[in-house]
Amino acid sequence: MAEKSPPKAAFAASGIELKTFYTESDIPKAHRARMNLAPGDAPYQRGFHPAGYRSKPWRIFQLSGFGKPEDENERIKFLLKNGETGFIMEHDRNTADHCYNVDHPDVVARREDVGLTGAVMQSVRDTAICMDGLPIDTSFGHAGGAVVQHAPFALAAYWTVAKQRGFDLAKIAGTGQSDFNLTYLGCVTKEQIPTQAGLRFNADIIEFCDQYLPRWVPVSIAGYNAADTGLTPDQELGVLFANAVEYLDEIKRRGNIDVRSAAKACGGVSFRASIQIIEEACKMRAARLMWSDLLRQRYDITDPKIANLRIHCVTAGSKMTYQQPLNNIVRGTLMALGAVFGGVQSLGVSGYDEALSIPSEHAHQMSVRIQQIIQEETGIAHVTDPLGGSYYIETLTAQLAEKAWQFFEEIQGQGGYLAALDSGWLHSKASDNQYKEFMDTESGEQKIIGVNCFRDDESPFHVDGFMGTDDAFDVATSRLQDVLRTRHETAAASALKQLEADCKGEVNIMPAMMQAMDAEVTLGEIGNVFRQVYGNWNTPIQT
Amino acid sequence: MSQAQKRILMAKTGLDGHWRGPTIVARALRDAGFEVIMIGMANTDDIVSAAVDEDVDLVGLNIGGHIDVAKRAIALVQATRPELPIFAGGTIPPHAAKDLEALGVEVYPPGSQLSDIVDAAERLTGRK
Amino acid sequence: MTEDLPAQISALLARCGEGDRLALARLLSLLEREPAAEGFIRTQLDSTPANSAFVIGFTGAPGAGKSSLINALLPEACQSGAKVAVLAVDPSSPVSGGALLGDRVRMQGHSQGANVFIRSMASRGENGGLTRTTETALRLLAHGGWDQILVETLGIGQVELDIVNLATTVVVVLTPGWGDSFQANKAGLTEVGDVFVINKADKEGLNQTRVDLQDSLSLLTSTIAPVIAETVATTGQGIAELWQTICSHTSAMTDAGLIGQRRSLRQSKLMEKSLLRHLESQLKELLASETGKSVLSDIARGKISLEEAYRKLVAKL
Repeated sequence: MAEKSPPKAAFAASGIELKTFYTESDIPKAHRARMNLAPGDAPYQRGFHPAGYRSKPWRIFQLSGFGKPEDENERIKFLLKNGETGFIMEHDRNTADHCYNVDHPDVVARREDVGLTGAVMQSVRDTAICMDGLPIDTSFGHAGGAVVQHAPFALAAYWTVAKQRGFDLAKIAGTGQSDFNLTYLGCVTKEQIPTQAGLRFNADIIEFCDQYLPRWVPVSIAGYNAADTGLTPDQELGVLFANAVEYLDEIKRRGNIDVRSAAKACGGVSFRASIQIIEEACKMRAARLMWSDLLRQRYDITDPKIANLRIHCVTAGSKMTYQQPLNNIVRGTLMALGAVFGGVQSLGVSGYDEALSIPSEHAHQMSVRIQQIIQEETGIAHVTDPLGGSYYIETLTAQLAEKAWQFFEEIQGQGGYLAALDSGWLHSKASDNQYKEFMDTESGEQKIIGVNCFRDDESPFHVDGFMGTDDAFDVATSRLQDVLRTRHETAAASALKQLEADCKGEVNIMPAMMQAMDAEVTLGEIGNVFRQVYGNWNTPIQT
Repeated sequence: MSQAQKRILMAKTGLDGHWRGPTIVARALRDAGFEVIMIGMANTDDIVSAAVDEDVDLVGLNIGGHIDVAKRAIALVQATRPELPIFAGGTIPPHAAKDLEALGVEVYPPGSQLSDIVDAAERLTGRK
Repeated sequence: MTEDLPAQISALLARCGEGDRLALARLLSLLEREPAAEGFIRTQLDSTPANSAFVIGFTGAPGAGKSSLINALLPEACQSGAKVAVLAVDPSSPVSGGALLGDRVRMQGHSQGANVFIRSMASRGENGGLTRTTETALRLLAHGGWDQILVETLGIGQVELDIVNLATTVVVVLTPGWGDSFQANKAGLTEVGDVFVINKADKEGLNQTRVDLQDSLSLLTSTIAPVIAETVATTGQGIAELWQTICSHTSAMTDAGLIGQRRSLRQSKLMEKSLLRHLESQLKELLASETGKSVLSDIARGKISLEEAYRKLVAKL
């Protein structure tokens, strides 16, 4: 009876088997050689800078927005007042994702949903309202434009408002998104420009920023949606760098700007921070390792200003539970911790009500408080790469990087990142994992507290969904009519024509897009041009 | 009770492209022997014409936003084929779930066991 | 329910004939679900004047874009005021018996049009690419006033070609690069296609695929020569032309009085093939059996002559 059965096998989310404990001899030799460097020294796995968070705390950067532009403006100001140190202007997804105006039948059919997850911005006028009084020059703004076909509009509108307010574009810092993994893998929309056209847009944005907005991160190479759709941490790494290669190779092919500038600008990438927190911390370290190796091997870049990866992180929304939502405060905190141990430069924590709705004010505030408590009360921020040197951390970092490179090579074997998207290969990988993950929860193999075990809830607080405001559609409708009626129609028509011509040609579309913003061309009109010129991406899966 | 093949219509009332949840449910239903007609992001008219022309035995809605949108589809389905059962999943906050249940729609929020959803499908289609 | 089946069917057929979609949908369900229904439906349909309908079959490998192609063709087909039905067949899982029927989603823009009727069907164990009751389903659709019926079926090999018997015009959909491992000859698709559509014509490999296809088709002798078309379903490129091509073929078949004739010819050819396949598999079984193995080993050891062995085995077939 006293006989103990051997401990069950345990695995990281990436499938790497975990030992019960680690010693120095577990660390791969090649990795041991570079372990003891200082943060900020190649290959950078220890972190961006030796003084780490002591010199610059990570940015508290929360996804935000709903309703009318003024509602979003108010929520952003609330978050800034409460301590976030950058701001994100999310656009309403019913209109933005598809580049529709609110009068499109598919949007009208869902009018109550308009403004649910972002503010409706159909022209530069709306963006101006959303940006009213925001610290564009002193803070770090995310202009929205998560979806690839939407990004040129979102960026151009933001920059046009900034220009109109007298800000020097060359000096403003901020970021776009134009996220391939979101657009083509995780949130496949009804209509979208094909991946090749998307690549063209992103390369145009990169080149435009190189010339006019040197402090702006043109596009965000992001793994969040790849991960939340099912890819494992090693796959998330592999796919992110495959995405990066697609952009950098395109820039090289075009030969208009130095690939080094592009690499520097895009060297602010984004990952998901999930709940297996040690592995996630290792993932960030592996990411820095991989970027440095990738740049050196493939592009002959070793400049520390370029090869030193900056990372933004968002905690995994899919890990937030519908049941016993207050438990999610703990989950958010733990996932944030993993990201902090991973040395990220910027962090967004999902709201505890994530599984119910967009964040209420309180949930949003809590996301900021979590980060502030870690920053100010725990002392973690005093020492850079606190887990560095741990036998486990170093072994898992090296193993993750190796596994990630294998996935990267598999993607190359499929013809590259775009080909792997077009064929549905990535989707099938994600789908298989999703199914397995789901089955693990279903069987109880993976316990989720409050969901498949310990279901009684003693909480005295009833948490319900935050549904935003209910006048977003009506106001957007009347504002659309206003702008169409009062704008300078000749200028708008001419700008739209120019945009169409540039889309059809091989010139950079951003100058024409900026012009279109000045002329108050609307989102739906731009979307119509895109649909007409590029057609629709042939989705490998139905959604 | 019948062992005949049963057909289920699955549609999303929202316009966001998340596909993970609906895909898993569709697959589970398929593995349980159902024929699943998936129409993805669909407007009210799409949903109703599919419910009629495909003569399905059950409608499954994935709702990602305000249920007002889904309610329109539900109302029209119930008017056109009053005997047709409907169940729903997705990001449905508690107050909205109550509203849907009042309309006779069974609600399966995130975290619901797949086996419960499959059992519901079997019960609602008269297979069990 | 079963005791009143003929009466139920009769009532539904009457409503269906007046254009009631729900009645048509119910009949299709009954047809699929109740084994006895098909007989009653056919008998009752036989005694009503037949509506003629043109059936166009779409076959090809998964991923070729059949659904998107049909979606793009629907506006063309409806232009003349015709009522168009789509029957989309997908395979049932041999393990669970269930199915994911996902063709309809790509035809979303049209499903609520009064002139379009889309029905998804699972093969439920049938191997020819269609369902057990497809032919009767087509008659029901015709009875409901649906003039043109587009049937979408999965076809990549010799087996999945039942559509040939039912369609006036068979459209084979492929994509560039398919020619790299061009198995079409062996698959039998070159022999049954009237129109070959190279969809996703904007992809690499178009020219080679067209050349390979032309080569394969040149080996055939047909009364009406097959035509090659090129399309990009997602942008509409080549779609109007394709519809014209299909209509031309259908007209040509009708004018030449060929529809019935070709169907019989194809049926006998398919019968030949089926028989050959059957004999092949019988032969394999025989050679693998105890008798077969012993005869073969006897030959090898010189115990019997080839003639004796031959007679022994043929007697078993």
